[in-house]
Amino acid sequence: MLDAQIFKRRRDLTIEVHLKIETGGSLGLFGASGAGKSTVLSCIAGIEQPDRGDIRFNGVQLFPPPLPLHLRPVGYLTQEPHLFPHLTVSRNIAFGLDRMPTRSENGWLADLCTSLRLEDVWNAPAARISGGQARRVALARMLARRPPLVLLDEPFAGLDRQLVRELIEGLLAWKDNLGFIMIVVDHQAHILERLSSHVAVLEQGRVIQQGEWEQVRAAPATDLLRKLLAPL
Amino acid sequence: MKPRWIPRCGIVFFALALLYPLTGLFSRVGPWRWDGAVANPTLSSIRVSLLWTGAAMLIVLLVGTPVAVYVARAAAKERLWWQSILILSILLPPLALGILLSMAFGPAGWIGRWLDQVGIRLSNNAAAFVLTQVYVSIGYYILGAIAAFGSIPPMLEKQAALLGHPPWRVFWRVSFPLARLGLAVAFSIAWVRALGEFGAVVVTAYYPSGMPVQLWVNLQSFGLPAVMPLLLVFLVTALPLPWVAHLLAQRRPHA
Repeated sequence: MLDAQIFKRRRDLTIEVHLKIETGGSLGLFGASGAGKSTVLSCIAGIEQPDRGDIRFNGVQLFPPPLPLHLRPVGYLTQEPHLFPHLTVSRNIAFGLDRMPTRSENGWLADLCTSLRLEDVWNAPAARISGGQARRVALARMLARRPPLVLLDEPFAGLDRQLVRELIEGLLAWKDNLGFIMIVVDHQAHILERLSSHVAVLEQGRVIQQGEWEQVRAAPATDLLRKLLAPL
Repeated sequence: MKPRWIPRCGIVFFALALLYPLTGLFSRVGPWRWDGAVANPTLSSIRVSLLWTGAAMLIVLLVGTPVAVYVARAAAKERLWWQSILILSILLPPLALGILLSMAFGPAGWIGRWLDQVGIRLSNNAAAFVLTQVYVSIGYYILGAIAAFGSIPPMLEKQAALLGHPPWRVFWRVSFPLARLGLAVAFSIAWVRALGEFGAVVVTAYYPSGMPVQLWVNLQSFGLPAVMPLLLVFLVTALPLPWVAHLLAQRRPHA
């Protein structure tokens, strides 16, 4: 279970949220740009530190004190893929595995490689692949370790619809298989809705509404949320 | 379209002018002198320079690398402070630095007085030579290394840590490989700076003479014919490392 109370003051925004997600659950963080969604994710990942709060995951105290990054049971996919440019695609994907992959890990990596259609670039230098491929490699790298907590920050920005559809199906299948908790940040409601039936809506750093998507769509708490949910 | 040959001729002329001093190696200075009076101290100076500059470079590397990592990752304001101190160290005129070092580490200085009491003298010996080399070169290495580490997006290192790697392994598997060409350039500049140092070393460690001091002694005592062999060795030992490092650094990384 993830239980995260986060208070963080930024120059233009004060973030104060409390999120609770049961094991195997998922949550979409929705809101306008600048609402504080990415900062919340970054605080849970440990990239940023809250000013105060309490973050616990499956009995492990993530904050306070801040648990060092390498001890966190977290997979974090950011808007930029941040691949290691000096390594090949396969070495990027196996980067989080402590040692040479065992046969079963090889099977898992091969499964990731096939599902994400990375066979053609498996041995290519990471610096030479396209943006869409890099995004898929970053997803494979994150999943290769089978993290129990997965944080996705606009994971599909800039990808074509067909690829997004495939990645969403893949993610949901892996989530069922691996049983990880997933938090997804996006400002596209239809993507979040596919990935998680639950949503927390952030406005000005605070959760203004939380629940099933149908409830939120039926009675948006603010005008801004109504506008964000309205079709173009 | 503008004719390309005009600027190209200009750059060729400039390059020739830049390389022109090297033709001095082929000047008619009479037969090169290599008798016992020249050969023995000359060979000794080569040994001293390579051995003790190597030792100084090891210290520069071991001390300078963690300092550079720290400064490169510091907040902008703090980084500016440390960089201004490093720049100050490389702006000191070599002769002035030599005089300051001999005073600070001599019997009149704070540390020098204490070292004197425990029987350590930092004047005209190998330790003084190494100390001076470190002082003249470490600022160049660290500033170059800061730029090399600073060019790595911090998020790459954080991602590596989130993938389960402790800080030392993140350094070894991500930071160092990505910074290595910049580090090689910084190291080679420090190397050539230390190996060629004359002004500071002539004050603190006239003995044991390294190549630059011996060049000066040979020139003063025996004239140009006694300088040429050592000059050739000096260029051969000092130039290739930075030259190759620079050429490698010009290649597009990971392309």
